[in-house]
Amino acid sequence: MLDTLDERVALRRPARHLANKVFPSHWSFLLGEVALFSFMILVATGVFLTMFYRPSTAPVVYTGTSAIYAGRELPEVFASIVRLSHDVDGGLLFRRIHRASSHVFIGACIAHLLRVVLTGAFRRPRELNYLIGLTLLLLAVGSGYSGHNLPYDVLAGTSLRILYTLLLSVPYLGEPLALGAFGGEFPGDIMPRLFVVHVLALPGLIAGLMTVHLLILGRQTHTQLPRTGIDGAQRVVGEPLWPWQAARSTGLALGLGATVALSAALVPWSDVDLHGPFEIAQTTNTAQPDWFLFWVEGVLRIYPPIEFHVAGTVVSGPLVGGVLLPLALVALGYAYPFLERRRHPEPGDHHVAQHPLQIPFRAGAVAGVVVLLVLLTLAAGNDVIARLLGLSTESVLWAFRIAVPLAPPLAAWGAAAHARAQGRRWT
Amino acid sequence: MGTSEDEEGLDILQRRVPAPGPGNAVVVAAACAVTAVAAATFAVAVLTGASVALQGIALAAALAGLALAVRRLAPAVFPHVETAEDRDAPEGSDVPLSDVEPVGRRPLLRRVLVAAGGVVGLALLAPLSALRPPRAEAERGTGWARGTRLVMPTGEPIAADDVPPGGIATVFPSDGVGREIAAVLLVRLSGVAPADPTRLDWMVGDDLVAYSKVCTHAGCPVGLFRERTSTLFCPCHQSSFDAARGATPTFGPPSRPLPQLPLAVDGEGYLIAAGDFGGPVGPAVG
Repeated sequence: MLDTLDERVALRRPARHLANKVFPSHWSFLLGEVALFSFMILVATGVFLTMFYRPSTAPVVYTGTSAIYAGRELPEVFASIVRLSHDVDGGLLFRRIHRASSHVFIGACIAHLLRVVLTGAFRRPRELNYLIGLTLLLLAVGSGYSGHNLPYDVLAGTSLRILYTLLLSVPYLGEPLALGAFGGEFPGDIMPRLFVVHVLALPGLIAGLMTVHLLILGRQTHTQLPRTGIDGAQRVVGEPLWPWQAARSTGLALGLGATVALSAALVPWSDVDLHGPFEIAQTTNTAQPDWFLFWVEGVLRIYPPIEFHVAGTVVSGPLVGGVLLPLALVALGYAYPFLERRRHPEPGDHHVAQHPLQIPFRAGAVAGVVVLLVLLTLAAGNDVIARLLGLSTESVLWAFRIAVPLAPPLAAWGAAAHARAQGRRWT
Repeated sequence: MGTSEDEEGLDILQRRVPAPGPGNAVVVAAACAVTAVAAATFAVAVLTGASVALQGIALAAALAGLALAVRRLAPAVFPHVETAEDRDAPEGSDVPLSDVEPVGRRPLLRRVLVAAGGVVGLALLAPLSALRPPRAEAERGTGWARGTRLVMPTGEPIAADDVPPGGIATVFPSDGVGREIAAVLLVRLSGVAPADPTRLDWMVGDDLVAYSKVCTHAGCPVGLFRERTSTLFCPCHQSSFDAARGATPTFGPPSRPLPQLPLAVDGEGYLIAAGDFGGPVGPAVG
C-alpha cells in the first residue's frame, strides 16, 4: 500500500524526513499540540453543529421535545439551538464538546504563549512565529467571543450590546463602525454576520496561520532546554516523530478527546435551558462574558464615572477601558520582542531556552501584565467577592480602583528585583 | 553533524529497549476490548437518543482506552531512542532565489504596475458599503415625540394605574415596539418624594416617572428596581441610578443620568409622551 503510493507520488524521502523530525520531550512543548488538537475537535464538531444552526432572528414556533420551549415562539436562531440540544441525535453531546474544547483551545494558546515568553523562545530567529502565534491567540479569542454569542440567548444579546457600545465609543468613527458592523442600529442584522465570521472567516484564518506557524517551526526546529554536552545553538535533542513522539501525540489527542467527552457528560456547558432567548431591552443578573474576557468586563466595572469632551469627541469609560486598554495590551504583546531586544541587545540567533528569571526586564513585564489581567478578571466578580467576604460592593469596587493602577507596576518592579537578586540562569 | 553514514538517517544519542512488564499485553488487549465495547455503546446511545451522560461517558471510555492501548503498545514494538537534529543555517544571499536572470530593469514601468494594482485594491473596498444600514434607518432618532403613545412589548397601550406602587414597566413608542434605543422604563415611586433634578412637570401624578432604559454606561438594559432605595440598577456593570432624583448615577461607572421622558395622559386615559427625552440616550458616541 505504501509502496504503491510511493511509486506514484515519490513519498519515501519526504516521509522519512518527517518521521525523523526531532521533538523535545519536555511536557511544556506539548501545550501547542493541545491547542492544535482542540482546534481539530472544534472544526469536526463545528461542521456538525453548522448543519443545524439557523442564523435568523425571525420568530418561529418551536415544536420539538423540549418541555420548556415546546409551543413557544422563539427567534429562529435560538430555536435551532434548542433543537440541536433536544431533538438532534448527538447534538447536545457535540455542542457541549465544542464548548469544552473552545475553553481548552484558548487556555492552551495562553499557556503555550507563556512558555514561549518565559523561556525566551520568541527571540531571533523566532520573532515572526511569535507574532503569528500571538495573532492565533487573538483569532482564538475572537472565535470564542463570536461562538459564545451564536445561541442568541440573553447572555449573547447583552454581550453583543456591549460590543456595539464599544464600537460606538471610537472617536469620530463610532457611528459608522457600529452601524456598519451590525448592519443597522442594535441588534441590526448581526446574526448572519457573526455566523459567517465564526464558521468561515475565523476558522479559515486560524487553519491557514496554524499551517504557516507549523511550517516555520519545522524549518526553525524547537528551542533546546540547556543540557550538558549538547550545543543547543547548533542542534536540538529529542525523540523522532516516528514512533514514540507519534504515539505520545496520538495518546495526547485521544486523551484530550476523552477528557472533553467526559466533561460533556458531567458539565452542562452553555445549557440552552439556563438562559432564555434574547429579547430587546431584557437582561439577566448573571450577565457575564466567557472567562477569557472577564478582564474587559472587570475594567468596564471599575472604571470611574468620568466622561469628558475633547477635540470634538468624547472620552468615555467604554472607550478607555474596553477599546484603548485592550488595544494597548495587544500592541505591547506585538512589540515585546523588539522592546526587550532594545533593552538587552544580544546579537545573533538564540536557540537555547532561558530560565524564566534570567532576564529581569522580562520577568517584570510578564508579572506586570499577568497581575493586571488577573486583577481585572477578579474585578469582573466584584459582587461575588463582596458577598464571599461579607463586604459591601462599594468597598470592594474601591479596593479594585486603587489596586489596579498600583499593583501591576509594583509586581513588575518586585519580579524584576527578585530576578536580579536571584541571578538564576540555566547555562 | 550526524554520526551515522546515512546523511538522512537519525543521529542517535541513546537507544534503550524498554522491558514491558509481563502484564503489558493484557493491558493493551483489555484497553482495546474496553474501547470496542464503549464505542459500540456510544453508537447505540446516540441512535437511541439515550442521555447525554451515557453518550459522553461511552465516547470518553472509547477514546481513553484507545489512548492507553497506543501508549502501552509503542514501547513493546519500538525501542526508545533519543536523537539530535542539526539546525539549518540560513544560506546567505549568494544562493539565488531563482535561476532565471532578468534581461532589463524598467523601474518606472514596475512602479506604474504596482500603482495600478493598488488602485484595484482600493476599488475593491467599495463593496464594503453594502455593510451599511439603509440610510433612512440611520437617521430615525429615538422615535419619541409629543403625543406618541407608550405601549407595552405586546403592543398594548398602558394607563398610569397599570404600574403598581414600587413597580416598573418596560414600554416602547407605539410605532417602534422592540426598538432598543427607544426603550423606556416606567417607574412608580413609593415612599419617597421625587426631588431635583427630576422634572416634576414631566411626571404623571407625583410618583410616575419615565426614564430611558438604555444604560448611559455600556448600553445594557437597566432592568432592576430596588424599591427600598428607589435605585435603578443595571446588572452588566452595576450602574445604579436614583429614580427619585432624575436618575442621577449613584454607584458604579456611569457618569450621566438616564434621560427622563416627559409624560402626559391622552383623552382615553392612556400614557403618552409630551416630547422627546430630556438628554442624550445611551452610552457615549465617539
